[in-house]
Amino acid sequence: MLLCVGTARADGTPIPHGTLELVAENQWIAAGHTIHLGLRFQMEKGWHIYWVNPGDSGEPPRVKWQLPAGVSVGEMEWPTPRRLGASSIVDFGYEDDVMLIVPVHAEAAAATQGLAQIGAEVKVLVCREMCIPGKAQLSLTLPMKSQLPVADARAAEWFASARERLPRPAPASWKISVADAGDAFVLTAKLDPRVAQANFFPREESQVKDAAAQQFAAVPGGFRLTLRKSDQLLKPIEQLKGVLVLQGDRGYIIDVPVRKAVAVRGDAVSGSNAPKSSKEVTQK
Amino acid sequence: MKCSHLYRILVAVMLCAVPLLIAAAKVGDAAPEFTATASTGKTVRLTDYRGKYVVLEWHNNGCPYVGKHYNSGNMQRLQKHWTSQGVVWFTVLSSAPGKQGYVTAGEENDYLTKEQAAPTAALLDPTGEIGHLYDAKTSPQMVVISPQGVVIYSGAIDDKPTTDLQDVQGATNYVSLALEQSMSGKPVQTPATRPYGCSVKYRD
Repeated sequence: MLLCVGTARADGTPIPHGTLELVAENQWIAAGHTIHLGLRFQMEKGWHIYWVNPGDSGEPPRVKWQLPAGVSVGEMEWPTPRRLGASSIVDFGYEDDVMLIVPVHAEAAAATQGLAQIGAEVKVLVCREMCIPGKAQLSLTLPMKSQLPVADARAAEWFASARERLPRPAPASWKISVADAGDAFVLTAKLDPRVAQANFFPREESQVKDAAAQQFAAVPGGFRLTLRKSDQLLKPIEQLKGVLVLQGDRGYIIDVPVRKAVAVRGDAVSGSNAPKSSKEVTQK
Repeated sequence: MKCSHLYRILVAVMLCAVPLLIAAAKVGDAAPEFTATASTGKTVRLTDYRGKYVVLEWHNNGCPYVGKHYNSGNMQRLQKHWTSQGVVWFTVLSSAPGKQGYVTAGEENDYLTKEQAAPTAALLDPTGEIGHLYDAKTSPQMVVISPQGVVIYSGAIDDKPTTDLQDVQGATNYVSLALEQSMSGKPVQTPATRPYGCSVKYRD
């Protein structure tokens, strides 16, 4: 037991073809503050797990939390995924190591002494050529205090590298618009004319055809990406949400209203949108 | 000799490419015709079943999502119920040789007996031709074809995309819903869903 202290691998709970560990960024939970926990997946080479939108097949990890009174978890933060598979079936997920970050908030009235037992029942689908469902019951004990939470040195590096992989909000200076062009969404981004490659990951299932090639075209001041619609999309959508990955590297969160396009031609559907005039066009 | 050999290869390549070139059928489209060999050895032509409802069930015996519906008896129940109502039910096996879910005719017949499964027939599709015609992504993806030969449902078997046996009970079954609605002359309310499950193990 003593030998295990300080070694990272020793604490992982086995899941199919990998391990999973529940870790905390801080040494304790403090009333009135939010700290972050991490679900640290370490997969054997070639095996993967899934993003919140898993794509054509698969399933994202699901967590059931067991929390002490006055403590609640917020929305999971998902690192930028990768496209998995290259043929007619494309999934979105993570290979090798990945950490999902979860904010944990303690109410101001939460206990300021004693120990908090945090439990997480995780169901995860692990796939390579084939898929194996896994289940792990994880637990973590943290002191409850009133003082400001202090970082745990062991976890600092994990959280720093996990945050590096999180998509960040798209800068306000970027002009991104999305037009409904019948069988495709046309995303026009005016941000940096040097961008030569982009990829979009739809946050919601059944909106974009996951396996279809995303056609990239340079336009003045940026680019245009043509996203084929999913066959399962039978109604118009108001917003297109997802992660835009530039140059195969950095991901940005976008959430853009979808405009009805009359024609997809040159710059006609791009640039900043004038909702009123486009609405008039739509209603004709 | 050499020439005819080359010609044969060329024809074979073209035949293989055809399903990929034709846009796969989606809801509202005419159901693409196919001819397949059943595990019994019988030749099955979709066109022979015009006038009847046809269900296509993509299958892979190693997939945990398929396992959920067979180990719970749900799939067998659906097969028995709907075939007793005159519906034609084809289990389609699109796994390529060497991949998970690939079976010989004999292995499939043993499986059907062991699982007490009751499809009209299990169709062997090791080339993935039928799978690509219907753009089958997963097992157990389900397709429902109307008596007029139109795809009226394509997608998941139900609304619980998990591998948990206990999720079968209480799930909304989209296949039954589509058949019930269509048989009573109503439009299918949920004609397309994300077909959850394992990716179909097509040949590379």
